Amino acid sequence: MNPISSRWRSSLAWRVTATTVLLSLSILVLVGSALFTNLERGIFNEKLINSLADADSSAQSVELQLAIAQYQSSIDIGKVLGDVLAVPVATGDGSGREVALFPTPGISKAGAAYEGTSNLLSPKSIPESFRKLIRAKKGNKWERLNIKYLGGHQERGIAVGNIITVPSVGKFEFYVLFSLAQQDQTLSLILRALWLTGIALVFLLSLITWLIIRQVISPVRDAAVVAEQLTAGDLDQRMNVKGENEIARLGYAFNEMAVVLKQQILRLENLSRLQQRFVSDVSHELRTPLTTVRMASEVIYAARANFDPSVQRSAELLLAQIDRFEGLLSDLLEVSRFDAEAAVLDIDQIDLTNLVKRTVDYLHPSRERILTIHAPHEPVFIDADSRRIERILRNLISNAIDHRADKPVDIHIAESESEAAVAVRDYGIGFNDRESKQLFERFWRADPARARVRGGSGLGLSIALEDAKLHQGLLEAWGSPARGANFVLTLPKRSGGFVASHPLPVIPAGESSTLSEMVDRTEN
Amino acid sequence: MTLIMVVDDDQDLAEMLGIVLNGAGFEVDLVNRGDEAMELFRAQSPDLVLLDVMLPGIDGIEVARRMRAESMVPIVMLTAKGDTHDVVLGLEAGADDYMVKPFEPSELVARIKVRLRRAPSDSTDSLQLGRVKIDQVAHTINRDGKIIPLTRLEFDLLVALAKEPGRVFTREALLSEVWGYQHATDTRLVNVHIQRLRAKIEFDPENPELIVTVRGIGYKAGQKGSHSE
Repeated sequence: MNPISSRWRSSLAWRVTATTVLLSLSILVLVGSALFTNLERGIFNEKLINSLADADSSAQSVELQLAIAQYQSSIDIGKVLGDVLAVPVATGDGSGREVALFPTPGISKAGAAYEGTSNLLSPKSIPESFRKLIRAKKGNKWERLNIKYLGGHQERGIAVGNIITVPSVGKFEFYVLFSLAQQDQTLSLILRALWLTGIALVFLLSLITWLIIRQVISPVRDAAVVAEQLTAGDLDQRMNVKGENEIARLGYAFNEMAVVLKQQILRLENLSRLQQRFVSDVSHELRTPLTTVRMASEVIYAARANFDPSVQRSAELLLAQIDRFEGLLSDLLEVSRFDAEAAVLDIDQIDLTNLVKRTVDYLHPSRERILTIHAPHEPVFIDADSRRIERILRNLISNAIDHRADKPVDIHIAESESEAAVAVRDYGIGFNDRESKQLFERFWRADPARARVRGGSGLGLSIALEDAKLHQGLLEAWGSPARGANFVLTLPKRSGGFVASHPLPVIPAGESSTLSEMVDRTEN
Repeated sequence: MTLIMVVDDDQDLAEMLGIVLNGAGFEVDLVNRGDEAMELFRAQSPDLVLLDVMLPGIDGIEVARRMRAESMVPIVMLTAKGDTHDVVLGLEAGADDYMVKPFEPSELVARIKVRLRRAPSDSTDSLQLGRVKIDQVAHTINRDGKIIPLTRLEFDLLVALAKEPGRVFTREALLSEVWGYQHATDTRLVNVHIQRLRAKIEFDPENPELIVTVRGIGYKAGQKGSHSE
């Protein structure tokens, strides 16, 4: 990501300062340019007024000198005009001043000789269009132009034109050109000063903004750091609070919250510890007598041939019920371990296909008739707790065998880049929408009458779901009455991973999802 | 007659164990306290010890550690908790096997018999694994002229692997061959004992060369880095 846009998003101080800089800069540019334009206009206008007065008085003075020269015949007209051209009069403010004299059209040949410019001023400085206007005495008698010298040097200036009459020769165009170099210099000084002031102002403004915003933000930043530490489990972290302003109030409220949080967490931890202790104690206290009962009943059972038929049957029932009690106890303990969040994974690398085969062998040694395993040729290696995965598989496969209604059961194994999946599909009694919602609930039975005979704790699927969740995996089910059921276990191959795709579909190919319903996606 | 020592604080269970084991043809010594176990153990030298984890006096794990320090007798832990933590602690302390309560008497007897059996010496040859010499008749391990004491189970485990060097044994295969389990997937049992065996015979247990882990499958005896399967 672009570093500027990332800072814009991550740092409030940076954003506020940048906004301040941008806004103040644009305001300064607007105000500065308005100020400069006004200044420039004022300076120019003053120069123009001076120039017009100067030019007019010069023209009058030249005409006067010529008039005087006419009466003092000793003085030559050519000399007067030459003096006018040769010595540009320095104006009061010391700026450059040039003069140009052009004969008007239709003047005598002798008169044309008086044409000339002061210094090295190029006659082309004064555009023909302006001269036309002067000759016609229309419009302004001044114009802005560039004063050009024969050497190629130029400077900005104002030209003021007049028509003067040279006695006995005719009319001449008389131009006085005033250089604006001085004014330009002044303006550039002002401009530089404006820029410097502006930049300094923006810099100071951003500095002030930065300092102020930091004052406001640093407690917020502290709060964020402390909150992160609290989240990481360091419950003793508190904010450093001074004063009584709004920010300090935030700090006090924050610290109070941390205290309450800590109390709550400690209370819950304590409860959880108590719960785990209880589970462990119950486990120990129940299992030891159960072991004794079990052994005693086995001894009685082994000797049942010596008893009356009723005692024989009792011995059989006793043993069967002890089995059932044992299964129920271990399932209950497992469930309370999940509830106490005391269940931990014992991760190992296992071949899923091998595990499925072993589970099938264990549950149903003559599997060829009923169970078909469809697996890739290569082993499917996953990082998982083999005991828990085997427990899930046993549950799914024995459920399928129980509910298959004498039809075959298909077990599919597949893998993708980072997931592995097992699908157990039967074509038996299936389940309906209402049942699908309860499938993973504790002590729920698909068919109470049947299930009682079969035994089983009714905790199998909910334990399987918890085991799958513990692996960050998914256990999903599809079912449809009389069309069967499909249970799909999807696991991340590497521990710590998560399920992003399904190597095996939950809804079997050829089955529509409208007939049935997907149930209980685990929240992971 | 084979003597089995039962250490369990529950007197009824201990008595019941006595009845079952007597019925299976074993002689039984009962102890109810951990701190009394060692004395009787030294006096009687039982052929096998059944040891409860939770005991008054000294707990079962510590008792197992002390017995193992003095003797190579087979020890089977009885645990009321199937929790990984307890099981691994017991195995690391020196127990050969464990049974989770409640267990079936027939299974208990079967396990005891497996632990008591002498590995049938189908061969009298001595096996050689690296610099380790395994004498199958005298049941001794000799590394560079030094005798290393092994428990019977560790010996069986080593022989099982060394008999077919290069063959990769899955954990399940080892469980069936050495522990006599069927359909068991208790990898902890195998892993802990492999570690203990390595600690005894490997020159560098962190980089084992005699018993090599084959990733995702199991273990094999042989040189590190060779991939014969």
